[in-house]
Amino acid sequence: MATDTHHVSLRGLSHIFTDGRAPLHVLDGVSVDVPCGQFTSVIGPSGCGKSTLLRIVGGLLEPSSGAVRVNGGRPRDAQRRHEIGFVFQDPALLPWRTVAGNVRLPLEIDGLRRRAADVDSLLDLVGLREFRDYYPHQLSGGMQQRVALARALAVDPGLLLMDEPFGALDEITRESMRYELLRIRACQAESAAGKTVIFVTHSITEAIVMSDRVVVVTGRPGRVTADVDIELPRPRTQEIERSTPFLDYADHLRGLLVGAAA
Amino acid sequence: MNGRLRAVLRGLLEYVAPPAIAFAVVIGFWEAYIAWRDISILVVPAPSDIWERFSDEPGFFWREGWWTLYEATLGLALGSAVAIVLAVVMAHSRLAERALFPLAIVIKVTPLVAIAPVLIIAIGFGTTPKIIVAALLCFFPMLVNTMTGFRDVNPGALDFMRSLRASPWSVFWKLRVPGSLPYVFSALRITYPLALIGAVVAEWFTGDRGLGFVVYSAWLNLQTPKLFAAVAVLALIGVGINIALSLIERRVLFWHESVRSTR
Repeated sequence: MATDTHHVSLRGLSHIFTDGRAPLHVLDGVSVDVPCGQFTSVIGPSGCGKSTLLRIVGGLLEPSSGAVRVNGGRPRDAQRRHEIGFVFQDPALLPWRTVAGNVRLPLEIDGLRRRAADVDSLLDLVGLREFRDYYPHQLSGGMQQRVALARALAVDPGLLLMDEPFGALDEITRESMRYELLRIRACQAESAAGKTVIFVTHSITEAIVMSDRVVVVTGRPGRVTADVDIELPRPRTQEIERSTPFLDYADHLRGLLVGAAA
Repeated sequence: MNGRLRAVLRGLLEYVAPPAIAFAVVIGFWEAYIAWRDISILVVPAPSDIWERFSDEPGFFWREGWWTLYEATLGLALGSAVAIVLAVVMAHSRLAERALFPLAIVIKVTPLVAIAPVLIIAIGFGTTPKIIVAALLCFFPMLVNTMTGFRDVNPGALDFMRSLRASPWSVFWKLRVPGSLPYVFSALRITYPLALIGAVVAEWFTGDRGLGFVVYSAWLNLQTPKLFAAVAVLALIGVGINIALSLIERRVLFWHESVRSTR
């Protein structure tokens, strides 16, 4: 695979949307390296370009300038090798397929069979085995998002890109989903190196609880204004949210975000 | 009385009784008005006269109705097939859309009664002109709806497919085709009755059979009850088509909001 130790490498990334009435400059000179197996959150206010950043890493968008490397190659090549798993804010399940059918979807694409994980064990992993024959409209928002996660994991991608995946969920579900995601990632790490995750969010708590590192992107166009390593022990549980180091990180990040907004 | 039977009776009372009463009232007024004003059977026949004419030879009406339904269905199939193929092409190429859409609009805005004689001159008599007139009427609504359906794809699902480098072929079959089915069904609810109209109009001009021909010849000979009986059978065929479409839709689109909200 990669000779590079960095799973994702961004150099001087800028993006300008030119399809609107006026050109929209959303990202300016973003340089970030994400090592293999790191859980990195990208946090920032709405409109700072963090979703655009994720779409560029995932190969859904070509940057206006700058270089993107995923596993040392172009994102499109990583896409072709099915090394990228996407989870969006909208679960975007296919309503005419069952839970199992939705998870199987990526395995059916272009006859892809290699690295095909067993659908039932994926459903076990996200705790939805007994819902395998249900349709998306019969599930709650949190369950739908877990199906979307299982679907993204089906091709066993090394890189998981998550764009505010819990943004549309209610606060209670949202809290439990954080630890659920950590548990699932830890389960997977037993067999192989933990997946690299880039997680876009605007929740400070979410970013600290889950990440090894938080990248702060602010302004229009968005720039990286801070890069904070989160040195909290794993596995992490809900108690961590009341610990002093957690609160210190939260104060620090809040200061960075508020400072940028002022 | 068990619960299931009670539920069925309740359903009859709630859903079948109201329209049945409404129909009975309308037919009753019609019958009474004709008797009261002593209107000639040659002008407007009473429902009882129409029923009498129909029951004289029900086989004849059903047989002619079957022809009309047959022509309309073949026309629907032809018109829909052409429309769907064009929708696939136009959904994938803006150039094709710019070139072909004006043509489709010309077909849409040209009055059918003007097309029918033209077709008869070009194609002659028989079943073909009826199928083609029916197809022409079905074509445009199916084209527009299918195109909209192909484009109405969940952007997240599309991004997900793209992030795995899915081919346009996969995206088409796994995303666009199932997603367009609700649009195809709502088009069918419009186009099947249109196909029936097309077949009937074509039968006026070229007919030797079919309910359109029955209506036309009954009109020429001032056989008003026969004319009305033919129209009533056409209406029944229309109702039958609607019920059949609803039943199929419930099975195929069980996942779609339009079906779920009526459960």
